[in-house]
Amino acid sequence: MGSKKGLLFDATLCIGCGACYQACKERNRLPPTATHFLEDRLSDQTYTVVKRRGGRFVRQLCMHCEVPTCASVCPVGALEKTAAGPVIYHEERCIGCRYCMLACPFGIPKYEWRKILPRVRKCDLCADRLAVGRPTACAEVCPTGATKFGDRQELIEEARARLRAHPQKYVPRIYGLEEVGGTSVLLLSDVPFERLGYRTDLLREPLPLLTWQVLQKIPNFVIVGGVLLGGIWWITNRRQEVQRRERQERGPDSGEPPHDLPEPSGSPPTPDSTDSS
Amino acid sequence: MRWSIRRPGFWQLVFLVILGSGLYSTVVRFTGGLGASTALSDAFPWGLWVGFDVLCGVALAAGGFTISAVVYIFNIERFRPIIRPTILTAFLGYLLVIVALLFDLGRPYRIWHPLVMWNPHSVMFEVAWCVMLYTTVLALEFSPMVFERLRLHRPLRILHVLTVPLVILGVILSTLHQSSLGSLYLIVPEKLHPLWYSPLLPVFFFISAIALGCAMTIFESFLSYRAFRKRLEIDLLTDLGKVIVVALAVYLVLKVQDLAGRGALARVFEPTYEARMFLAEMMLGVIGPMLLLGVRRIRTDHFGLFVSALLVVLGFIMNRLNVSLTGMEASSGVSYFPSWTELSVTLMIVALGFALFGLAVKYLPVFPEMEREVAVPPAVAVLRRPWIGTTPLILILGGIVFFGALGVAYSGLSYRERALAAPPRLEEEEPDIAEGLERLNIPPDVTFPQGEGSPGPVTFRHASHINWERPDCTVCHREPFRILKVEGDASSRPARDWHDARHCGRCHDGKTSFSAQEECAACHRP
Repeated sequence: MGSKKGLLFDATLCIGCGACYQACKERNRLPPTATHFLEDRLSDQTYTVVKRRGGRFVRQLCMHCEVPTCASVCPVGALEKTAAGPVIYHEERCIGCRYCMLACPFGIPKYEWRKILPRVRKCDLCADRLAVGRPTACAEVCPTGATKFGDRQELIEEARARLRAHPQKYVPRIYGLEEVGGTSVLLLSDVPFERLGYRTDLLREPLPLLTWQVLQKIPNFVIVGGVLLGGIWWITNRRQEVQRRERQERGPDSGEPPHDLPEPSGSPPTPDSTDSS
Repeated sequence: MRWSIRRPGFWQLVFLVILGSGLYSTVVRFTGGLGASTALSDAFPWGLWVGFDVLCGVALAAGGFTISAVVYIFNIERFRPIIRPTILTAFLGYLLVIVALLFDLGRPYRIWHPLVMWNPHSVMFEVAWCVMLYTTVLALEFSPMVFERLRLHRPLRILHVLTVPLVILGVILSTLHQSSLGSLYLIVPEKLHPLWYSPLLPVFFFISAIALGCAMTIFESFLSYRAFRKRLEIDLLTDLGKVIVVALAVYLVLKVQDLAGRGALARVFEPTYEARMFLAEMMLGVIGPMLLLGVRRIRTDHFGLFVSALLVVLGFIMNRLNVSLTGMEASSGVSYFPSWTELSVTLMIVALGFALFGLAVKYLPVFPEMEREVAVPPAVAVLRRPWIGTTPLILILGGIVFFGALGVAYSGLSYRERALAAPPRLEEEEPDIAEGLERLNIPPDVTFPQGEGSPGPVTFRHASHINWERPDCTVCHREPFRILKVEGDASSRPARDWHDARHCGRCHDGKTSFSAQEECAACHRP
């Protein structure tokens, strides 16, 4: 097993030819969804788009996070980060709760709303092609090298080299290096990333940490809670038992013991009401 | 305010209309899919069915674990008379949440998957397990009512022994998933509006669930009292009112501290949709009820308790909807309003809840029979209290809170309209592609060998087919022009059909460019 694969997209090199868009459609056997690719948007039938933004062409596709939010929130593990890099979808597990769509910080997973038995759809980084040593379809057809396929680590080195070589040109930042814990798709740009439609206010830590901090407390909580509640029950129950015994001891003398009780029923208190039958 | 039984005709009719439209919507949902039946979209994947049916449904059923903890664990026996109706409410509530999930899940027949396909990192996984286990616990806690009715003593004895462990399990499970419904949203810090997003979301959900559980117990006691002429345990309910005040006070203090700590306090008073909805929610569910229940005269009054509980219920329904819908709208970039299908299914589920509760009360020993006679004459007692002045006071205070919140929410909606009218758009300038063009590396020439009866081989040159100012690969590379490298030699592809409108002929039609059918020599060069 090699290292993690990824993509490097350089917005300065993209000429907006739409080859990646079309290759993605071809590889995934997706029907045409727009009169022109620049007008299209991500959907259950479009896994990548090219957008004209901030005086640049920019791609939008699944970022294949290092610690994917979608995979962390999925209750049945239908989304999985593979060792090779892609975040893939196990259709046969999915129950259709759509939490992945709600949680994804990049708004990538899309749903087959029109189908009776819908699936979540998104880019899978051509996992099948990667498995046989080929690059993703979009990278294979890119005529300018704007989308480059490779080992993530090597792509980071390459991006750093480009930043070093042209410090005056690029925004001094590799988008995806640290965003939400890092992504397998990396971006370079000479205009600010927010103008390309990429959020720059995302956390540096993986988002799953936010919920894991709470979830990891559960085993302790169950144990402590169980002991605590059991203890409270034992004390309150014991107290009542003592009270009852005391009443029994002075029972015949004190006349009408049940009326001292707080409960409305005449019978002595028991932990359950089922005795009334 | 005349509840069923009294005028069966009207309420049965209402129920039938709701049931009818709900069933029709059910058919639409399961034959047309989620797209045809809901207003949901890729940008807004969770709507009313999650926001109300699941989030509110679970929270409204919280009375089950609070009251059973009070009775069985803290051994406060006074509350025993109201334990059965709250267990029943909770049990029905969870069953209906599961029904709602069957509507909302894209693949409802796989609802059991979390049982065998585990992902302990998922809050949803935890919620699924807790809800499932707790529904089982509730079924067991509910079952004595059935066994008593059937006079089956053996299972009753077994359940009797199991009661305390079951209650402890139920309290733990409830605490976990009531709070976890808030934790669901911990993972969307950049999507949920800062008025609601907080690391304390699970805490807020849990505390409000306690207040809501008590409020629902009061609410449902009054409905049973009106509908089934059950005795009203006004002392107990007044005590629950006090619990609500304490829970709400804790909630309010935490909320203010949390907002201040995150620097979001000023946003409460901003003229925005979210801020107004937040204010309305706090007025309705927190400040209003605290005000009302804080007055002893109101707290001990039937009508006063009822109004206060109703406000808490409404306020926290609004809170859950704000977290799931209002607070998520701005970041989604779309506006969401539930479709009538979503609304009618939700209404049907609520109506089913009422109907099942009524049936259970009718046929099962839900309300323990008391030796004592009914203390106050039913039906008229609510409005004809000897406390002159209390009812107007409640009406005035409750009215101010309710209509105040309504007005604030309405003003919020007008801000929403304006925000929707001018959606923020990303600029679409003409891109500068000079640098990319320098690197343009076009695919090599493709030579198609001479076929039978062909005047000569054809060599296709990308260079002569590209607009060098603005290369657009998709002009040609649509369906018939494959773009990915073909296995083997590209030129070995079959030669037939190249002339027609699906391939070269699409542009070489004699109008866009020279005709492929007639000017053979333009391509075929010997």
